[in-house]
Amino acid sequence: MAHETVSRPLPPTIPRPQTRPWTLALLVLGLALVYAYGWKVTQIDIGQLMTNAHLIRPLVRDLIRPDVLSWVPRTQSASAPFSYSAEGAPAPAPPATGPRLLLSTPVAQPGQPLQIRGEGFAPNRPGQLIWTDQSGSSARGSEFRTDAQGRFTLTLPVPQMIGTHHRVTAEITLEGRQLRPSVAAKLVFGRLVETVFLALMGTTLAVIFAVPVSFLGARNLMARSPLGTVVYYVVRTILNIARSLAPLIMATVVAGWGGIGPFAGVLALALHSIASLGKLYSEQIESIDPGPIEAITATGASALQVIRYAVVPQIVPPFIAFTIYRWDINVRMSTVIGMVGGGGVGFLLLQFINLLQWQQAATAVWGITIVVAVMDYLSAVVRERVV
Amino acid sequence: MKGAAVRVEHLTKVFPDGTRALDDVSFQVNPGDFMVIIGLSGSGKSTLMRCIYRLIEPTAGKVFVDDIEVTALRPDELRALRRQIGMIFQQFNLVKRSSVLTNVLSGRLGYLPPTWALTNYFPRDLKQRAMENLERVGIPEKAFTRADQLSGGQQQRVGIARALMQEPRLILADEPVASLDPATSHSVLKYIEELNKKDGITVLCALHFLSLARRYGTRLIALKAGRVVFTGYPQDIDEVRFREIYGEEAVEVEIA
Repeated sequence: MAHETVSRPLPPTIPRPQTRPWTLALLVLGLALVYAYGWKVTQIDIGQLMTNAHLIRPLVRDLIRPDVLSWVPRTQSASAPFSYSAEGAPAPAPPATGPRLLLSTPVAQPGQPLQIRGEGFAPNRPGQLIWTDQSGSSARGSEFRTDAQGRFTLTLPVPQMIGTHHRVTAEITLEGRQLRPSVAAKLVFGRLVETVFLALMGTTLAVIFAVPVSFLGARNLMARSPLGTVVYYVVRTILNIARSLAPLIMATVVAGWGGIGPFAGVLALALHSIASLGKLYSEQIESIDPGPIEAITATGASALQVIRYAVVPQIVPPFIAFTIYRWDINVRMSTVIGMVGGGGVGFLLLQFINLLQWQQAATAVWGITIVVAVMDYLSAVVRERVV
Repeated sequence: MKGAAVRVEHLTKVFPDGTRALDDVSFQVNPGDFMVIIGLSGSGKSTLMRCIYRLIEPTAGKVFVDDIEVTALRPDELRALRRQIGMIFQQFNLVKRSSVLTNVLSGRLGYLPPTWALTNYFPRDLKQRAMENLERVGIPEKAFTRADQLSGGQQQRVGIARALMQEPRLILADEPVASLDPATSHSVLKYIEELNKKDGITVLCALHFLSLARRYGTRLIALKAGRVVFTGYPQDIDEVRFREIYGEEAVEVEIA
């Protein structure tokens, strides 16, 4: 930037109009008014940064100790299936060694007594029964303690649960504890995967529509007839308007259409990406080299062959590069889109912040940072190879 | 297979903007000729070539290749004729992102069913022949390199191999060496000369340098502002004729 102002001598023959001092003063006054109003209207308050420092201190402090791993007690468990009806009753043989659970009967109605015998567990440890119904949801039940031989026996009425095929599990708490991913880390991981796929689906949906649209928005293909020229201008205008709507606004609007959740995010990203990819693609089509088209035509090739061997090789690599770049952008966008109801990790982050769970929020922030950085790097590598 | 004869009769091309690129051009090329076209930039050399295989529709006049009237052909007949006419370009016009082999194979597209293009299918014997043609122009080791990784001279040799895939009876070369250095120019023109001498392919070649025209051409026509101002042998261009063609100010530049 600086070199532009340095080494460009003015033509000596053209006299520069003399700037009058009062013009300069008026200009300075005008600028001062503009910035004064800007300062006022944006409510800039440096003092507040000092007085309110304590409010963001927990967030900053917890940013360096995100909730990623947590200590959980080591456990030992065994389970056995049972059913309300004899129809297709499962009865796999329990393992001969190690912890195992033996039921008095594999078929029992709710309320009937069921004897549960455990063997091969650690001796003299506390444990608890877990009932899992057919839908997979579980509830904690009776507590017990193993004897010196690592055995226990319980006789209980069969509980009322949803479905007919169930499972009972005995979980013994052992001595010591182990490091496992924390609940927050698991949640963040799941939502990050959702975010990446949200961006992938949004991008893919956009590509499906943007490719045909881009041909309609390419001047060199369309401006050959009056009708084509009209189509070209209509398509370009729609693309420009659609592109000016930020994905965040799009998501807020679309959340009512696709329902709050990832689908709304996919729609919002897709709509915005159609516009931006459509423009990038059509500019790429406009800049292809006409030479190979002429050369392939000259060999006596048909229109289809000319498109396949002269046009497609020229546009596919840049199309792929733009698409990957768009996916990369969409991953970043979708972290934000979640905050307005578009699903993904952003929604989770907002919840953590609202609940003042700073360590968990830090986990989400770090997760987003890592995923975005990795996507950024991968997309750069792939684009480099393709183009 | 022998070279094709070309007969151009009263060919005129007026572009929509009023430019008279060709003005009543008539000449004849005999089978096996190496016909050189010289003339200033903008004298109508490229337009003439493009009118012969009708990439540009002439305004008036007729073009015959052997006894086929090119200017009267239907689109499918025109495609069948184009297969027999190899074209070599100043800017090579290779598909830069495709491999050299694919570029060479694309010369054969006119003979293949269009639907094969969808799966990018070429028969094995064609690939074999593409390799043979690459060997002929001395760059078989570049077959799987991307076309834009090659030097200018190598790219033009790929262009020649592509034209060879057509088994052409006529080669139109539009300033094939204008983008190349002198040494490379000779090597490329030698390949074209070999096709002319050995395979008997008729060559119509636009050149900038008179020294190259004298070295390679067997016949020569000169264009000036869309008109034929000389027809004859390259050796007959003397100082006086040279000034007629290129203008009073021109000085002949030798190329080694």
